[in-house]
Amino acid sequence: MMRYIVRRVLWMIVVVLLITLFTYVIFFVMPPVNPAVAFAGRAPTKQLIAEVTRLFGLNKPVWEQYVLFVKHLFLGDRWGWPGLGFSFTTRSSVRSIIGSRLIVTAQLAIGAALVWLAIGIPIGILSALKPRSLTDRVTMGIALFGVSAPAFWLGLMALWLFWFKLHVAAGSGYVSIGVGFFTWLNHMLMPWFVLAFLFAAFYARISRAGLIEAMNEDFVRTARAKGLPEWQVVVKHGLRASLTPVVTMLGMDLGGLLGGAVITETVFNLQGIGLYAVQSIGNGDLPAILAVTLVASFFVTLGNLLVDILYAFLDPRIRYS
Amino acid sequence: MRTKRPAIVGLIATLALVGAACSKTSTPLSGGSSSTPTPGGVYRTAINSFGFTDGFDPTGEYLSTSWEFYQAMLRTLVTYRHVAGVAGTQLVPDLATSVPTPTNGGLTYTFHLKPGVMFGPPVSRPITSKDIAYAFERIDSTPEAAQYAFYYDGTIVGMHQHAGPPAPISGIQTPNPTTIVFHLTKPTGDFLYRLALDATAPIPQEVAKCFPTAGGYGRDIVSSGPYMIQGANQVNISSCSTIKPMSGFDPSSHLYLVRNPDYKQSTDTARSNYVNGISVTIDSNVSDIFNKVQSGTLDGTLGTQPPLTVLSQYQSSSSLRPLLHSDPNNAIWYLGMNLATPPFNDVHVRQAVNDVIDKAALVKAWGGSVYGQIATSITPPLLLGNQLTQSYDPYATPGFAGDLAKAKAAMMLSKTYDPKHDGMCDVAACKNVLMINRNYAPWSTMEPIVVQDLAQIGIQVVPRELETGASYQTIETVKNDVPLYLNAGWGPDYPDPYTFAQPLFSTSSIVPVGTPNNSLVGLTAAQARADGIPYPAGGVPSVDPQINHCEGLSGSARLSCWVGFNKTVMQSVVPFVPYLWSNEITVVAPSVTRYAFDQFTGIVSLTQLAVNNNATL
Repeated sequence: MMRYIVRRVLWMIVVVLLITLFTYVIFFVMPPVNPAVAFAGRAPTKQLIAEVTRLFGLNKPVWEQYVLFVKHLFLGDRWGWPGLGFSFTTRSSVRSIIGSRLIVTAQLAIGAALVWLAIGIPIGILSALKPRSLTDRVTMGIALFGVSAPAFWLGLMALWLFWFKLHVAAGSGYVSIGVGFFTWLNHMLMPWFVLAFLFAAFYARISRAGLIEAMNEDFVRTARAKGLPEWQVVVKHGLRASLTPVVTMLGMDLGGLLGGAVITETVFNLQGIGLYAVQSIGNGDLPAILAVTLVASFFVTLGNLLVDILYAFLDPRIRYS
Repeated sequence: MRTKRPAIVGLIATLALVGAACSKTSTPLSGGSSSTPTPGGVYRTAINSFGFTDGFDPTGEYLSTSWEFYQAMLRTLVTYRHVAGVAGTQLVPDLATSVPTPTNGGLTYTFHLKPGVMFGPPVSRPITSKDIAYAFERIDSTPEAAQYAFYYDGTIVGMHQHAGPPAPISGIQTPNPTTIVFHLTKPTGDFLYRLALDATAPIPQEVAKCFPTAGGYGRDIVSSGPYMIQGANQVNISSCSTIKPMSGFDPSSHLYLVRNPDYKQSTDTARSNYVNGISVTIDSNVSDIFNKVQSGTLDGTLGTQPPLTVLSQYQSSSSLRPLLHSDPNNAIWYLGMNLATPPFNDVHVRQAVNDVIDKAALVKAWGGSVYGQIATSITPPLLLGNQLTQSYDPYATPGFAGDLAKAKAAMMLSKTYDPKHDGMCDVAACKNVLMINRNYAPWSTMEPIVVQDLAQIGIQVVPRELETGASYQTIETVKNDVPLYLNAGWGPDYPDPYTFAQPLFSTSSIVPVGTPNNSLVGLTAAQARADGIPYPAGGVPSVDPQINHCEGLSGSARLSCWVGFNKTVMQSVVPFVPYLWSNEITVVAPSVTRYAFDQFTGIVSLTQLAVNNNATL
């Protein structure tokens, strides 16, 4: 098992490195705009463009810039480890910006994941146990609405209704938990539910399909034949077997969200990684774009790794040795 | 032109404004603009993104919202009253005791500083002439990346952008702590305006020397004006290593300005400073900003243009309408033509394009007259003392809707492009004419109008839509030789036509990459050769002599000169089809008891407005 984990971690590093290479080529070698010109004002002189180019380190050969980037990533730069460079826009360390924004994104992603699991899986179970019943049709109808409703629309509607019209929820923006637990909770609830609504629908449908299939398996019939109570049959045997695809999705979804829930963060003005990505693209801030891509890819690959490891515990048939 | 934020990503989309002259002034507040506002409260506003060009360092910052923050934080030798209209374009002394008259044939300007003006915390000492000279030394040092050093390079003796750290400039003398003398290389009629730009505000060397590269000083700006960044008094300047960013400013989330305890109102006649503080937060959701203003969570917007749905809501509601302000911001929007490229290297074709374009439809595509006034010449009327308003229109058509017969008549004068003499461009050069545009409204909405109008005179336009930055860089790269562009607009850095004429039409502003002279007016054969583009057989008209002539004048002679220049450009050179002198739209909450617009920065005036909320910072 340990050998497997080590091997996967090494592969993960290779994957992240490849992603940085592709991202670097896309944003630094073929950028739609030259950042030095963009930052040199509306009537730039040659000297100023040259100075900004030097300031941003764009005067070095691209391969040298990339090697320096990778070196800083692993060994750290003057702002610490991991070295993510210097923002063209804020003229400060990208690492510190990413760090503060990751906290916001993590709160959003983890909170939303808990909500969608808490909603999606029970709905899936209920529907699976009583397929084609009224409960099944109603819950699956809600799930279909959740899948179909765009997050930006849902977010704007939720803000308009619960904050602007009914005044029952806090408006947009992020408030640190240090300000007060309930104030923080009030600001996070709406983003959590809006984000979770979309995912909960998927999870309900996956759980339902998985459980229906599992409940028809031989080992479930055996469990029933042994005289186990129905709830034990469902939870201990059926549900456990049907959770594998749910865990797979959770790992990938959570990993992706930790790289930034762009729309939810934008609509609810949460200064997280996703919003930072949008702002950086708008500002042509190449180091920031690169750093966000790196962080996002890291979490996605990490999520996949964790899922693979979890499989061994969830499914007794899987052994990595 | 300094940048305006798009909503960035909006970005930036600099929305435009309109000519004051003609101008509609701002709609009065229903709550009433109090004649004697009560000081206090905090003006709470939000913007989509700061979008700073140089990390908020005044030496290199070139963004209109930043300039308005600086009006509250920094003082210059001369400044404006920070109000709307003509009154807001006139210079008044700020740090100086008076606005001087130049001596020595217009080559020397001597200023005496007011006594008792001090830097705010953490420096808290009197401002001296050396602090002003140091600001110029930073501008002159390329590592500081000053973005409008061209206003001083070659104008002040000894200023020519050098690569080292800030160093004394021979043309700036400080004979004593309260006197500063500028020696110019040539008479420069708008030099005083250039001294009102924020990069020239005094900078304490003891702090700024700790930030040897561009942008660093932006986190620790020392105030010389009525407001300072919150937390400035907590910064330890005993050594460079102890200086930490001021807590009131985080480029990713907020800027909080509070009163500067070392500021004396008695030394300042240009600012009223009613509010106790200014709170600017980042809100990524533009609709949310307007909802917050409507709900009273915020007091007003700041350079953020409302979505059309919000705009219609305010325009159609009698209770909301008084809270909507639309002020001319002296910017112009135009369809540009490249004078060096067929078919626009023929003045008759360019005149025909001016005749055929339906300007009324273009402005309607923007959202109507609230966004500004139909433009009929290059320079907005306010900058020409209202001597050239909409009544001057060399391409007048009924209802500004274009006149096909007139356009065809103009086209017929082109022997090269209308050999059949039928009022249509008949040659291959008029097929597949590339037009660069932005990929979002209102530019994308205007696009079909232009395509359709030009097709009527035989010009087949092929639009290419790009993101804002990419569209600018495409037309600003000479070798791209873009024939037609709809994405561009221009606004002044200060209220003088020179800030339109020089960058947009002078030969010297044509540089291989980043040229603001997108129509290549005055392009020389040598420049064309160097940039690898064909040079037209008939040459390219130049207006350099007129620009240089006007620039050396002052007073009414200068104004008349620029009026004549504008007529020449519109009738003989014809690089643009100007269609909009734009307005800045601001929405405020009823808590704003006094609304004011700063004509210099083109956005709401932070030092002249008043609120009646109980907010604190």
